Amino acid sequence: MRHRTFLEYQRYRHLKLATALTLAAIVVYAWFSSPVGRYGGTLTGYALGTIGALLIVWLMWLGIQKRRYRANANGLKGWVSAHIYLGTSLIVITTLHTGFQVGWNVHTLAYVLMLVVIFSGFFGVYVYLRLPRLMTENMGEDTLDSVILKIADVDQDIRRVAMAMPDDVTRMAEASIQRTRIGGGVLAQFRDQPAACPTRQAVGFLEEAGKTLKGDDQQRNHELYSLMLRKKKLVARARTDIRFKAALTLWLYIHVPISFALLAALSAHIISVFFYW
Amino acid sequence: MKIRLTQLTRNRRGQAILTEQTLQSDPFRIGRGADCKLHLPDPRIALHHATIGLSDDANGFIEAAAGTIKIDGHFERFMRLKTGQKIRIGPFEIVVLLTPPSHDLALSVELIEPLKDDLADVRANLRTGLSGTWLSKRALSWITAWTVLLIFLIWPVMNALDSHEREANAKRSIPPDASWNPGALASAHHSFGRDCAQCHDTPFVQTQNAQCESCHKSIGWHFALNTKEAKALHESVFMQSADASRCASCHRDHKGPLGLVRQDSPLCTQCHADLKTRHPETSLPNVADFDHDHPAFKLSLLMPGKIGKDAVLRLAQDSPIIETSNLKFPHDIHLAPKGLRGPNGKVTMDCKNCHVPDEEGIRFKPTAMKQHCQDCHSLEFEPKASHRQVPHGNVAEVMTTLNEFYAQAALADTPIDVVVQDGVRRPGVRPMTAQRQSALAWATQKAQTTGRELMEDRVCFTCHEISKVSDTENKIQSPSWKIAPVAITQHWLPKSRFSHSKHNTHECSSCHQVQTSKVSGDIAIPDISKCRECHGGNATAVDKAPGTCETCHGFHVGGPKSGTPVLLPGGLPYDPKHKAAQKVVGIYPPSKSALHP
Repeated sequence: MRHRTFLEYQRYRHLKLATALTLAAIVVYAWFSSPVGRYGGTLTGYALGTIGALLIVWLMWLGIQKRRYRANANGLKGWVSAHIYLGTSLIVITTLHTGFQVGWNVHTLAYVLMLVVIFSGFFGVYVYLRLPRLMTENMGEDTLDSVILKIADVDQDIRRVAMAMPDDVTRMAEASIQRTRIGGGVLAQFRDQPAACPTRQAVGFLEEAGKTLKGDDQQRNHELYSLMLRKKKLVARARTDIRFKAALTLWLYIHVPISFALLAALSAHIISVFFYW
Repeated sequence: MKIRLTQLTRNRRGQAILTEQTLQSDPFRIGRGADCKLHLPDPRIALHHATIGLSDDANGFIEAAAGTIKIDGHFERFMRLKTGQKIRIGPFEIVVLLTPPSHDLALSVELIEPLKDDLADVRANLRTGLSGTWLSKRALSWITAWTVLLIFLIWPVMNALDSHEREANAKRSIPPDASWNPGALASAHHSFGRDCAQCHDTPFVQTQNAQCESCHKSIGWHFALNTKEAKALHESVFMQSADASRCASCHRDHKGPLGLVRQDSPLCTQCHADLKTRHPETSLPNVADFDHDHPAFKLSLLMPGKIGKDAVLRLAQDSPIIETSNLKFPHDIHLAPKGLRGPNGKVTMDCKNCHVPDEEGIRFKPTAMKQHCQDCHSLEFEPKASHRQVPHGNVAEVMTTLNEFYAQAALADTPIDVVVQDGVRRPGVRPMTAQRQSALAWATQKAQTTGRELMEDRVCFTCHEISKVSDTENKIQSPSWKIAPVAITQHWLPKSRFSHSKHNTHECSSCHQVQTSKVSGDIAIPDISKCRECHGGNATAVDKAPGTCETCHGFHVGGPKSGTPVLLPGGLPYDPKHKAAQKVVGIYPPSKSALHP
């Protein structure tokens, strides 16, 4: 059976639900024109606003509660599907709620924050659909742990071979073994090729040295060069994997905090409207 | 050179295991290289790290080669060896022991900093996952949510609850509750500035009429509440719920400069489309849409000589109307393109020669004999005295003027019309009684003849409808003609708010076709079809200007609740008894006593 993504959950059940909700909102908006114009303060406006606010709160509540579904992958998939489709329908529902009236105020702030949350969510969907395949292509049968073990093995060989070589080569090999950083801070995790990677420098050095050496020296140099090249590739794969993993979660650092900012702005929006009724 | 070397290793529990051997070499090389006598296989050791030798006085020394040596915490290039000295070579510690007999030197070697496991090395340099970095979803969530709450909710609420603070803050360019403002205020309400409490004075309570009426004291209801029935109707239609009677249920502010007044037709047509069913006693027709369901305009014609209720006759334009102004005025002659013969030559006239817009640009100032007609239509009566004119008044004034003029002429030294009777008159001699009577008789006769000419053939007759009231053959002193009272309607559609200045991009003739009008009875006011050429109806048309009820009519056209009278869309209330109204609609003359006899 073909693997079904969270978007296709239960034959697009939530897509259908969200589409129905969106169409209903459009029909209501088009049908009931208020004599005082179309905006959030009419009966239609209140209705659309209430639906929008409840959806926002419900989707956030599900987000907080989703850990409960961990045991059941299907349940999690259903939640993600509902979250995406109903979240998307919010764009239409809340835009109609505004009556296309925007300004520099808390009301538009809530609307804009909501759009930021939704579109960061879209990016999340994109990376969840695209990156896993790229990650598999990058790692093949390996996992990050197995690549790390392989690097450690290569390091051992490098050390062994380098031991019989001139001191500067040994130092370079040792630097590669001890100072090749994989991952790191926020920015480093997004870098495939750090500016000063001792392994890369060692590969370059050995390649140059190989051109002038002769006999046994040249053979040893070549052996070390091969090992270093292999390490370089392994390190690149590990770094790419880390970059993908970071990309998979980075959008959440916008999606989640802005969701809470949205919840605050939504409260301010609703309270202010009735405070100054 | 014979050296006794003790290699010290430790088992897992840290217990020392000693291996002793005697090495012989001169010089005694230490390093990673295979040719070194003290072979230290560690990447941190140089191929040839250092050399130990014996000096001439048989004392040992150590000399750095490619590596560094550290003795008692100091880097040294060369050092004489002493018993008990500790030498660090990379991760190894070499201690100089007491030299046993038959040896030149005794050393112990211990690896005190073993290499880390390769895997540990890799892991030490590995950091994966953003959760391991400074980024924290929880912290960011708290920060953003509280920032928004503080700025956009807590601060404005605190401000609104403290009236002193609020008043002070209202003068700031950005007061705390500025972020709550959903849109620009109506232009007139801009004077409130940023003081929201002008309208929103109680939290969680809708704005009340009292707030509106504190300024809008004289606003009228939809119709005058001058009878019991009107009051009952008002109660049943407009007061049936708190929301229906709330000003803000129609007038929503924060919708920009023009957003406060409802422009939609359903406001009116929800009742007026079917008014006759709702209120069978009404005299008003049903109106659903200006575009296709609006009755013909009702013109308000001023009735000459009538006062009070009868002063205005309202006639629908669905059948031909002839105006009775009692003034003869052929537009075609006056607007003839080839011009007219004037006192100073040829004159070509157009509309604005007589119709001068009023200050508001809505209608026109009344036309007046003196300003607009008399230059050409002189009131001269005697060809030999062209400087004299009769007054533009009533018949009696005209006759008095004529009598006085001709009597003066007859009795003066130089009669203008030398008709001498009963002998010759001499200068300086007072006329005889008989002569005077004779002259007076002549003057009276002359005045009467001229008067008849003015009333029946020329001058007055040119413009006015004049009827003879008695036989003029005999000597009747009193006026013997009646000039019909003139009524020039100034405001044909007083319940509309038509503004000429808003339409001045069009030629007058595009609406008022008077170039071929031969009589003043022709109606020059276009009918509704003319308006519909440009104005649409309830629905917004792509190719037409708006044509909602509000385009021409107003809602608050009823009597005021108190104070000054409410203004109708077109001006003052259409009450013919009202002095100001009479001026506006041009009721002339204003009272019965001033009517022409």
